[in-house]
Amino acid sequence: MLARFFGNLLFNLVHLVIAILVAVNNVYRRFWRKPAISRDEVTKYDLQLVRENVPQLRKKLHHLVMLSDTEEHSLDDLAFIVIWSLLVGIPYVTFYDITGDLIENEQKFFLEVEKRKKGIPGFIKWSKMPDLNGFSNGTQPHTVNVNIFSYDDGQPKIAECIRKIALKELPCDSSSDEFTAQELDKSLSFMYTSIPEPDLALYTGSSCRTFGLLPWQIRLTEFIKLSEDSSINVSDFLGALCKYNKCDQRYGK
Amino acid sequence: MSSWVNENCVSFLHLFCIKVVKTGRVPQHIAFIMDGNRRYAKKHKVVCGVGHHRGFNKLSETLKWCLDLGIPEVTVYAFSIENFKRSEQEVKELMDLAREKFRSLLNEIEQINEWGVRLHIAGRLSLLPKDLQATVSRVMLETRHNNKLRLNIAYAYTARDEISRAASQLVKGVKENELSVDDIDADLISQTLELGEPDLLVRTSGEVRLSDFMLWQISKRTVLYFTEVLWPEFSIWNLLAAILHFQRHAPEIEDDPPIVQRQQDFLEKIETKRWQDLEKLVGC
Repeated sequence: MLARFFGNLLFNLVHLVIAILVAVNNVYRRFWRKPAISRDEVTKYDLQLVRENVPQLRKKLHHLVMLSDTEEHSLDDLAFIVIWSLLVGIPYVTFYDITGDLIENEQKFFLEVEKRKKGIPGFIKWSKMPDLNGFSNGTQPHTVNVNIFSYDDGQPKIAECIRKIALKELPCDSSSDEFTAQELDKSLSFMYTSIPEPDLALYTGSSCRTFGLLPWQIRLTEFIKLSEDSSINVSDFLGALCKYNKCDQRYGK
Repeated sequence: MSSWVNENCVSFLHLFCIKVVKTGRVPQHIAFIMDGNRRYAKKHKVVCGVGHHRGFNKLSETLKWCLDLGIPEVTVYAFSIENFKRSEQEVKELMDLAREKFRSLLNEIEQINEWGVRLHIAGRLSLLPKDLQATVSRVMLETRHNNKLRLNIAYAYTARDEISRAASQLVKGVKENELSVDDIDADLISQTLELGEPDLLVRTSGEVRLSDFMLWQISKRTVLYFTEVLWPEFSIWNLLAAILHFQRHAPEIEDDPPIVQRQQDFLEKIETKRWQDLEKLVGC
């Protein structure tokens, strides 16, 4: 009885100490970091920072995913990620919608991005929006293709693919009595528009979870923390890209 | 002393700290990507094989800590299908290590049964050498009634391969009229997979990717914990830190989704078939 009481006391004490340390760390970060200069447009400071850092990024980033939680991130903040990606030259940017709010507000989000795009060279192509650039081909240089995915694009879509195979609506040729990963991958490619597998997924906050992000496609995706609190700014963004660049992919070898 | 569960790695201080951490919510299933054996070997200027041996010894320590913490299920990523691409020498060394360890497990089976450890080797077993297939099947059959700690070893495994094998079973189920097409949903796929959902996934050696491990299972509620330490240097303090992190960030427990009778029958049938297949492998 007494042992249990002390056990509980110590347990709560340990967690209290961790909570205090984390809180102190967060306060320290908030006060000692450069405040954001302007939240309405991409500033000269942003452009300069991108220009300085991009030459150091040697590993080509094809597809960036932002784990977006609309309860933590504002549309303004998320819109900047599209612009910075355009400046850096990332061809595919996906917002993974954790709460479901982003898909509902896609039009509003689209307008926020377009507002910030002014004066920046390059094109933004929205998978679900009419093309304002007058180009139907997403392979132009300096084009960023924006997608919003949610839980339904993950597990439920794979389940749908398997149902279609069972109904023989989708082919899945098997050389033995069990499909191989390559065989199922071929069938799944009919379900997804052709976008590269994500190289990098960014998240904010102290804990990392995938929330159901594209389970088939994330086998080699690097999960990198953008910020400890839920703030989004250009220096953290470039910092995450630099971190990604130091990562060494070995492909099982 | 058992080589699979190291009894002599817990001091009084460790036990005390385990008791304190155990007061809170402990993950019911913890998965490890045991990365860093080769980097450890390089760092300590020893050959690669020594790194892998030290890695295995660390697993036996970790199992003891998990038993003491009361964690009922542990999954480890030991060998990926992609690892067959490594040099012939290294693949041979890894297969020999598995052979040696599984055989020693069979020699000390009474001790393992006393600990109550149930082993499951998850992966495409047909890719393994025939003798190793028979050995791992025997290990699974001989420990199947143990219930204190379930140790899943992902061997010749990738998550995509696991999902593909589950898909084949589901498609076959429909073909043989055991399932209707509408029975196939995300929950049934989860239950058809070999491995269950972990609460916490720990990856060592500073890498921050999943490397085709449990991609489906970690989708819903798993907390991912990446740590810089190399696997052979992983200590009880690293494990306790991972559990404290889990306690701070774990999502609430959700009830299992309801399952219809036909799905239940199907799952029981594939389970029975799996045991029959293993018995056949032992016999060959």
